Amino acid sequence: MGALKPVTILLALLVFASTLFVFNTSALSENVAASAIEKAEGLMVSAYQAVLEAERAGANVSVLVARLNVAGEGLAQAHISYRLGDFDGAARSADLCSQIGEEVRVEAYGLRGLALEEAGQRFRWTMIGSILGVAIVVGASFLGWRIFKLRYYRRVLGMRPEVVSGES
Amino acid sequence: MNLEEYRTLFAVTTVGLMLTAAFPTLSLVVPFPRSAERFSELWVLGPNRMAEDYPFNVRLGEEYRVFVGVGNHMGSSSYYRVCVKFRNQSQPLPDASNSTPSPLPPLFEFRFLITDGGSREAPLTFEFLEVSHMEDSCLVRRISINDVVFSVDSPSRWDPENKGFYYQLFFELWLYDLTSRSFQFHDRFVGIWLNMTGQF
Repeated sequence: MGALKPVTILLALLVFASTLFVFNTSALSENVAASAIEKAEGLMVSAYQAVLEAERAGANVSVLVARLNVAGEGLAQAHISYRLGDFDGAARSADLCSQIGEEVRVEAYGLRGLALEEAGQRFRWTMIGSILGVAIVVGASFLGWRIFKLRYYRRVLGMRPEVVSGES
Repeated sequence: MNLEEYRTLFAVTTVGLMLTAAFPTLSLVVPFPRSAERFSELWVLGPNRMAEDYPFNVRLGEEYRVFVGVGNHMGSSSYYRVCVKFRNQSQPLPDASNSTPSPLPPLFEFRFLITDGGSREAPLTFEFLEVSHMEDSCLVRRISINDVVFSVDSPSRWDPENKGFYYQLFFELWLYDLTSRSFQFHDRFVGIWLNMTGQF
């Protein structure tokens, strides 16, 4: 009976310690999931901003948008899992979202650079075309006016007053 | 016409032609205002992707399917969040006049990134997993949405006027705002009424 008492105390301590361990592990995984979701949210927004910038630069972003939708599905799933207490699932989904978000962000900035370069070239050629067009218009107009003026004077000088007989 | 009038005509024509020639470059430099109205669309379709055959009389253990869609006409790609919420007749809907969402917590959610002029649809399958039915009240305990199980514990009283226990599955549209760096309720919601009077 005397030997049983320390064993009982030891068992109780073990049960208490394991409860604490389980509680701490759960709290830890909740924190891990929360920070994974926060990171994924940030990367998703950065990727979205990069896609917007690429789009404004004139790039075709449809492929990037399709991939961000996959990331968005993962992020939505992460939030749902987190609300339901499935912290491991939430962290997994958030990590997948982060990975895709980061890839899309890098690709979007690359596409933006290309689009800006293309836009610069397009602008240069358009400007050259416009300058040439304006120069042709000005030149043709000047020349046209000179010719017109000469003909006009010739026509006016060719007009002479005529005396018609039989009139008073 | 005298020579002065011809000169004016020539000058006006020349300026017009010069502007025409310079227009391609001007259009790249001068931001011309867009007159199109900016808005988003939110819709729910029935199981055949048509605006018909919506689930209405629902039963325990049967699977129902709808499609939720979002259309973007905001002038650039937009990032949306669709919150799926479940309510009984006495619980609040979003307030359209004050642009406030329903205070009920979302059960499921979708996130869509949509290019300008584009749209996206997603299927939503739901099933009532646990429902208690009493004489004049009904309690929906658990519901499954796209294979994820949610505890809702939503009671409903018998509606004598419409003869049923009514619930609503509704969808709120939220739009990501880059200025505040958060999702803002976009003042759009749609829902389907569900009558839990079918045989259990």
